[in-house]
Formats: sequence, structure tokens, C-alpha cells
Amino acid sequence: MGTTMTLDKKKSKKITPWLFLAPHLIIFAIFFFIPVIFGIYISFTNWDLFNTPTFIGLDNYKELFFNSDSTFYEQLRIGLKNTFKFVIFSVPFCIAVPLLLASALNTKPKLAKIFQSIFYMPSLFAISAVVIIWKLIFNVNYGPVNNILNTDTPWTGTQPYAWIALVVVTVWWTIGGNMIIYQSALSGISKDFYEAADIDGATAVQKFFKITLPAIKGQILYTVVMTTIAQFNIYGQPLMLTEGGPNNSTRVLLMYIQQNAFGSGQSIAGIASAMAVVLGICIMCVSAIQFKFLKVED
Amino acid sequence: MKKISLSQIISFLFLIVMALIWLVPLIYGVLTSFKSEMELMTAGFKILPIEWVLTNYQELLVNNTSTPLVKWFFNSLFISVSHTLLVLVVVSLSAFAYSRLEFKGKKKLFSFLLATMMFPSVVNLIPLYKIVDILGWVNTPLAMIIPGAAGVFNIFLVKQFMDNIPKDFDEAAQIDGANDLTIFFKIILPLIKPVLLVVALFAFTSSWNDFLWPSIVFNDIEKMPITSGLQLLQGMYQSQPTLLMAGALIAIIPTFILYLFAQKYFLQSMSLSAGVKG
Repeated sequence: MGTTMTLDKKKSKKITPWLFLAPHLIIFAIFFFIPVIFGIYISFTNWDLFNTPTFIGLDNYKELFFNSDSTFYEQLRIGLKNTFKFVIFSVPFCIAVPLLLASALNTKPKLAKIFQSIFYMPSLFAISAVVIIWKLIFNVNYGPVNNILNTDTPWTGTQPYAWIALVVVTVWWTIGGNMIIYQSALSGISKDFYEAADIDGATAVQKFFKITLPAIKGQILYTVVMTTIAQFNIYGQPLMLTEGGPNNSTRVLLMYIQQNAFGSGQSIAGIASAMAVVLGICIMCVSAIQFKFLKVED
Repeated sequence: MKKISLSQIISFLFLIVMALIWLVPLIYGVLTSFKSEMELMTAGFKILPIEWVLTNYQELLVNNTSTPLVKWFFNSLFISVSHTLLVLVVVSLSAFAYSRLEFKGKKKLFSFLLATMMFPSVVNLIPLYKIVDILGWVNTPLAMIIPGAAGVFNIFLVKQFMDNIPKDFDEAAQIDGANDLTIFFKIILPLIKPVLLVVALFAFTSSWNDFLWPSIVFNDIEKMPITSGLQLLQGMYQSQPTLLMAGALIAIIPTFILYLFAQKYFLQSMSLSAGVKG
């Protein structure tokens, strides 16, 4: 009797953890793990979302990289180029602007709490709402920007203004998170360092580069990597603000992926998946490089 | 009296300028939503409406049948609330197992899950649609409620928090004859409320604001959440910015209100998420 009891108890002990884990593991397997494997597989097929995919080896990738007559070759080039451009244009601002704001807030000026709320707030809005607001702001005729600057610049319709508009909207929308991260990092730096530097007669700039930056290096690395990954997934801003224009100059890869897989007309999910894999590899490579590069610094 | 330093004055001036830049688009948007179409087009550039009107809101909320904004709003509310509840249940159960229970392969499984966080989610976009389609969830709220609960980050966050709760509590309860379920509900759950609130806020806002995914899984206008609805609205009413503005503002009200009430926790959660990594 006694032994069966302990056996049962042992058995139930082994099962209980899995009962706690089951809900997540099932959802994880069905909606993350299996789709990822399947996604890589279908990039080697000529799938159309509905019929059984046929394995065609590297044909999709050959088409994307080597067939210069193909529209998909063109799409990958344009899409990837514009995605990279967006990352290069936007990430520096998404790091520098919140760092400046956090540094200013760290001096504990009047109304600091209110300022903080104002800068954080936009990150809680949906991108479609954000774009609608900014489309009005940038409107050629009745937008405040042109009326204040007294110009009639077509912000979303010509370059380089379209890129400027995209970066402005993105910075406005996203800096809140990074700013809070820097704020909590800055508040953790001991005042002694600055006082010692003051005695040595260091300037504010010297203090910033010699004390502040090294002290929050970890958080900067984290935000650079996370921001870069986020900006590689750029989609909503060019879709609604510039509509990919002018002349496809802001059409990003995710727009082509979405269009090829789910757009009107025949789905070419195989090619779209290959594009997604290429974008995924770019994201992984860039974040790996960033980790290496920023880790080596110290 | 407290001394005000030069750096505080410079910071204050800088922050005032930046805050204006951050506020003006929003305030101008709100004011525009109370202008009539005619006024915006013909009256020249004015900040305040000459005549305050509610026609844009009326048009969207009452008269309009081709763009059911009220329906979109409640679709989003249902989706976001359900998603948040699901995430809370799934995340707290898993975190409890990884933090408190012993089982074979625990460390390996947890490291594997963490490693998957590095994987770019763009690769699973297309197959995820297929799976949701096979399950018959296209054009249903389930397409947005459940797949998002596969994420690992929240489990990590809650587990870290749980790890800081002394094991003595559980052991004392065990001696009193409590089983794992009782320990979870009676001891751990009440103690992790702060971090669960953080998870809930993030789950709600990210679900409410999701854009690409709902635009793929919803094509039935009646079933859409409000973010997809706004995209449709923008396509249909390109030439009616005052109406669009009213729509955009209605869509940001819930997260705005949530922020007003839970500001402290939002800010705390951001630094928490970096503290974990940094």
C-alpha cells in the first residue's frame, strides 16, 4: 500500500511540471516552431499557399540572386536596398535622440515627469493612427509643416523628403522605450565619478564620453540591436505614408513579401518565403555583427 | 530653496522645444478632427477650428455603414482583452514550472526557448497564415488571440521575477501538505502581481496596435480590428483628412487611457526589460 502511494506520488510529480508547461509548449510548437521550419522548407518550393508545395531546390534563390531579367530579382534588390537605407537612416536617430532626452531628464529639471510622459506616449499608438496624423502634418497645402516653414514641399512624394518624413515619423513614434532604458541606466551611475572628474577639470563633453557612455554601454548595445531588428521589419510607415513612392524609392522588402504571398492575383508564396528567409538572414547577420563589434570595444 | 544649476536650465529649454515637437502633431490632429472638411480646405492655415463641429465623429460613429468603426473598435477590444488573459495564464504557468519545479531537461528546454527569441519572426509569417487557415481561423478573432501567446520573452521576465521569491515560502507550504497547484495559486501568484501587470499592459497594447498580421488574416470588413480598419479608411477617404483624423484618434483612445492610469508600470516595464538584458 505504502509503496504504491509513493510510486503514484513520484509519477504525478513527473507529470505536473509538464501540465504547467503544456499550454505554452503547444502554442509555441504550432504557432512558432512548426511554421518556422515550414517557412524555411517552402522557400525551396514553388508553393502558392493552397496546393501541395513541390520541392524545386535552390531555384527560388537562383531566381532572386542571379536571374537579372526576373521581376523578383528586381524586387529583392529594390526592397533590400530600401530596407537597409531605412535602417541606416533611422537607427542613429532612434539611439541619439532618446539618449539626449534621457541625459536632459537625468539633470532632474522642472516638469521632468511630464516631459517623460510626452515622449513616451506615441509609442503606445498604432502605426496606422500615427501615419494618419503625420500625413496631415506633412500635407502640401494645409499641413502645419509647410505653413510654418512657408514652403510647398511635397514631403511624402519626392526625395529626399520622403525619407526625411519616414525617419521623422519613426523617431516620433518609437523613441519612448529607448529613452526609459537610458534613463534608468543613467540614474544608476554613481555621482562620485562626475565629482572626481569635476575636480580634474573635465568638460561636460569629456564627462559624457569618458564616464557616461562607458557606464551605460550594456544598455546601448541592447537598444542598438533591438532597434535595428525592429527597423528591419519596417512596413507600416512606407505602406501608408509614402505608399512605397516616389518611384518605388521607399518600397521595402516586407511590402514585396506581403504582396507576393497575399496580394491580389496568384500567390507566389515560395518566392516570398525565400525573400523572407533572405531578410531573416540579414537581420541575424547584422545583429551578430553588432554584438561582436560592440563587445570587442571594451 | 533648492539651487538650480546651469545644466538644469539648458536641459529644461531643450526639453521644452522637444516636447513641443512631440505634442504639436497630436494636438493639431485633435483640433483638425473638430474642423469641417470645408474649413480645412478653404480657410487657409489656422490652428484652432473657426467653428467646432462634431460631424466627423458623427459620420464615423453613427451614419457610416461602409466603414463600421464602432464594430472595429469592439473587435479590437475583444481581441486584446482575450489575448491578454490568455498570455497571463500561459506565461505564469510556464514561468512557475521553469522557476519552481524540477523536471528532466529543464535547463536545456529553457535555453532552447531563449535561443528561439533570436530568430527573425518574418520567416514564419507565410506558414503561420497557412496554419491559421487550416484551423479555420481566418477572419476570426482567434487568429490574433492565440498565435501571439507563443512568445518566450514574457516567460523569461516572469521567471526572473519569480526566482527572487525565497524558496522558503514553498517549502513551508509543502511541509503543511500543499501541492504544486496550491503553491502556485496561493503563494506565488499573489506575489508576482506586479510583473503580471507589466506583462498584461504590454500584451494589451501590442495586440491592440498590431498591424501587419491582422492585415493578412482579415479581409472581411466586419471582422477586422481597428488598425486594419484605419488602413481601409485611409484608402477610402484619402481626400477627407478631418474624418481620418477622428478615426485615428478614436483608435488611440484605449491605449492612451491605459497609459494615463498605469503610467508608472509602463515606464517600469521598459527599464525592467532592458535590465534583464543589459
